Amino acid sequence: MVNDQMVNFLHHIFAFDAAHPLLFTQFYFWAFFALVYALFALIMDRVPDSLGNKKLHLRNVYLMFVSWFFYYKTSGLFLLILLFVTLSDWLIARQIHKSIIDNRESKIATAWLCLSVAIDLGFLAYFKYAYFFTDAFNDLFGTSYTIVDKIILPVGISFYIFQVISYTADVYRGRIQPVKNILDFGFYVSFFSQLVAGPIVRAEEFIPQLYKPFRLSRRAFGIAVFWIINGLAKKIIMSDFLAVNLIDRVFDNPLLFSGFENLFALFAYSLQVYADFSGYTDIAIGVAMLMGFYLPMNFNSPYKSQNPQEFWRRWHMSLGRWLKTYLYIPLGGNRSIGFGTYFWVTVIALVSASLTGWWLGIMIPYAVLIVSMVLVPRLLKDTNHLKLFYSNLNSFITQVLGGLWHGASWNFIIWGGINGIGMIVEKIWRPMNWHVRFVLTTLLTFGLCAADYTTNLPVWRLFAVWMAIIWVGTSIRYIYFLCEGAENKFTKAMSTAWAILQTFVFITFTRLFFRSSSNLDPATANEVAWATAKNMVNQIGGAWSNAIIPDFLWSYRWVVAMFVAGMVIHWLPTNWKRRYRLWFSAMPIWAIVIAVCIAIAVIYQFVTADVQPFIYFQF
Amino acid sequence: MKPYQVLSFIAITMAVLGALYWAFPEGKLLKTEHLADSEPVIDIDTLAEFPVFAEAEDTIVPETPKPVIPKVVVDSTTDSRIFLQSFYASLAESSERKIRVIHYGDSQIEEDRMTQQIRETLQARYGGKGVGLMPLAQTIPTLTVKQELRMNGRYTMPANGPRRYIVYSFKRDQRADGLYGPMGQVAVMNDSLVSGSEDVTAICKPIVKTALYERWQVFADSSVHYTFAGDTVQLSGKGSVYGLSQESKTGIIVDNVPMRGCLGIVFTKIDSEQLRTFYEKENVRLIIMQFGGNAIPSNQNPGTISAIVKGLREQVQYLRACAPEASILFIGPSDMLTQTDGEWQTYPMVPYMDKLLRKMALEENIAYFSLFRWMGGAGSMMRWQEVGLAGSDGVHFHRSGARKAGNAVVNWILNGPMDQ
Repeated sequence: MVNDQMVNFLHHIFAFDAAHPLLFTQFYFWAFFALVYALFALIMDRVPDSLGNKKLHLRNVYLMFVSWFFYYKTSGLFLLILLFVTLSDWLIARQIHKSIIDNRESKIATAWLCLSVAIDLGFLAYFKYAYFFTDAFNDLFGTSYTIVDKIILPVGISFYIFQVISYTADVYRGRIQPVKNILDFGFYVSFFSQLVAGPIVRAEEFIPQLYKPFRLSRRAFGIAVFWIINGLAKKIIMSDFLAVNLIDRVFDNPLLFSGFENLFALFAYSLQVYADFSGYTDIAIGVAMLMGFYLPMNFNSPYKSQNPQEFWRRWHMSLGRWLKTYLYIPLGGNRSIGFGTYFWVTVIALVSASLTGWWLGIMIPYAVLIVSMVLVPRLLKDTNHLKLFYSNLNSFITQVLGGLWHGASWNFIIWGGINGIGMIVEKIWRPMNWHVRFVLTTLLTFGLCAADYTTNLPVWRLFAVWMAIIWVGTSIRYIYFLCEGAENKFTKAMSTAWAILQTFVFITFTRLFFRSSSNLDPATANEVAWATAKNMVNQIGGAWSNAIIPDFLWSYRWVVAMFVAGMVIHWLPTNWKRRYRLWFSAMPIWAIVIAVCIAIAVIYQFVTADVQPFIYFQF
Repeated sequence: MKPYQVLSFIAITMAVLGALYWAFPEGKLLKTEHLADSEPVIDIDTLAEFPVFAEAEDTIVPETPKPVIPKVVVDSTTDSRIFLQSFYASLAESSERKIRVIHYGDSQIEEDRMTQQIRETLQARYGGKGVGLMPLAQTIPTLTVKQELRMNGRYTMPANGPRRYIVYSFKRDQRADGLYGPMGQVAVMNDSLVSGSEDVTAICKPIVKTALYERWQVFADSSVHYTFAGDTVQLSGKGSVYGLSQESKTGIIVDNVPMRGCLGIVFTKIDSEQLRTFYEKENVRLIIMQFGGNAIPSNQNPGTISAIVKGLREQVQYLRACAPEASILFIGPSDMLTQTDGEWQTYPMVPYMDKLLRKMALEENIAYFSLFRWMGGAGSMMRWQEVGLAGSDGVHFHRSGARKAGNAVVNWILNGPMDQ
């Protein structure tokens, strides 16, 4: 009996259980971390420094095995994939380096690089995009091939695959030396802190840390603890509470809720996605810091961005940097377009046309684009305009592929595409003079109002209202410009707030397409995503009812308060945030202990809070 | 800082948190009620048909006999489908005349969910076409018919269409005369007409093969004029429109009447004469009532649940008096989840309400289908969520879940003791 209990206990501790992965938000993870840290401290404190690199190597190997266990607990035998790509990229990177050094033969190195990328992306493509490409292939060629019933996505595969690609590419470009010891490299690939949800740590950022001794200043310790608590609060208070009590139910069934509720849920979803993702990476950064490793910042208050381009520099920064380094720049950046650009434009057009069935509607713009890609560089003499052309084209492709990275379905392509278009429009808009801006917004507003009046369709109403708001803002600024009003602190603040608000609204509406079923079958994911987006737009643009707004705000007062608090905290000035972080980190240790305990007690109240019952305002 | 110092910090923090946990073992600083223990879970896939389950309660003896149908004495093993005899008997006439089934329910049946499966199965076996009743202004698109509203030729969102009065809505949307019609909602054309008038066009296109129909019917005041052209109905005049119907002359017509947020205690507010006329003229032989779920989240008190079931009993009696020829089937709430101490589990009152509803149904000599037990009892909603049959709110079925539940209900009906 006791033996059975012991076996069960050990099984629970060590065996993979899909229903109970190791997550930062669960006690089990923190117990695991405490034990891991105990041995880590033993290694760092007891192994003499005189051993030098051997001590660091021991630390790295220890953390690698711990990370493998962590991954096994989270993903079971998918650990083998992690091990395989670790081995293959380590070996290939050595071959690349050897080819470059010994023979100065770049073609062989390039071939090795292609092999490595093919292996890595092959795994990603199978697990993440098999359904998607099978569907696209079937649509394209009228076939009806099927793949296995259900492919389970290994946790974190999108992150560690990008990491190993960055390593091999960095070795190829001579930015880093290949890691001599495979165990050190294994640690870089599998470090448990960022394995599951990033940040995506590029080889050149992390590999040098493998050979540096443990260093954690008193302030860094305080900041690490702050990041962990901050992340837990974001994830549990902001994200999970909002999701459970409002967002999930609205997105699940938008028609049960009025236009205002849908709009509120959409904005709340913007906050939730941020809080969820950034909360998780905050914890990852804090945990890594406690072990003396410094991961790059992943989110920098993205909803403070004044335009879509800035947003992508603040949102999931490690992915943005990765895409810029390993996709946008190789495509040509703002310098040129080459085979890669033509290739991806063609792929995107074919996939889009096959999935939508709008062959003519997509192939005509595609043909126009290809012709302009050929002609524009020959006709355009102005270098700046040419740069803008290249940059827009390559960044649009990067955005669409970035969208596809998030998920294997059509709605993510639309989401990436809308973001790409938003970025291009803003880039064109920014240098325009005020007369042109005013005329354009006026024409657009009238056009959209006319479309709304003629069709009476909710989607046009939504566009018309939004455009009218932009028109009001533009008109005020235009009048101010005509009156030759000087720019002062107030106007600058207003202008910044306006830009932030418009960017936030734009990004929020792109999220209509961001949320998708976790089901990997794109047919289902697309159906759900389309129905959700369509129903939400219909409700927001058509089933609006001012009368219910006070009732809603009162009935959902905790949810509303949490959303408002979240946005206010998010929009606090950066130096305030820095100051309170530093203030926290400078507190005496005993005070930090008390603060952490209080914070966790409060966070736990949200874990255990009762769910907001359903309240219907519209029938 | 040295690693051992960090380790000490972690250890001390965990010790303090451990002490806190010891002081507040519930985890919560504020006390809350605990949920009932989970019932054993049944594998949903093994339950193609609904088992007749035995109640551990006392034998239920009916109260005073009701005027229309003599009460049947039942015991704990009674298969409540014996109360569907009137409906079963009517099926023999399905090739000669129309037999109507009207499915009232809460948001669980919105979009024609569940009803669609009941309709398709019954029509496949006994004939009949069309989706039956639809409101003039359909605010909740269905899976079976694409409905569009035009006012004076312009596309109009249903919520902005003719004035609607809804028996299960707020007071401001209700009318004093009780003339809501069989759907519990009415659209009044030119309600506040001062000058001019608005013509209304409803375009109702079947979007699934099984929704194809033979003919239209419009249930409206005589002051409302209408003409048909294909899938379009053109209406003019001033007066109430109680519903449009796409149907056939013979066979089974199954109406989907969702009443969002409704407890089900609203039928007595609808004019009985109007209901009686409709039920009789349209040969309504089965009334399905699917309610109870909306009582669960805000009521943790058995006394309140009893009072609600009492209210539902009155509705059953009222409908039976309005439709003496019809059988009545009550479908209880599904399993419903809430979060307690961070864990999702069944609302404590779901099993209790299910039990009371079955008791009430047997006492009232109506059939009862326990969705809750059929799903697998307490906690089954979690498994439905895991396999994608239910939404993350722990209350509503996804379309696939609704299909499964709808099929279960109709198979249960059809496998009943028809020959008795």
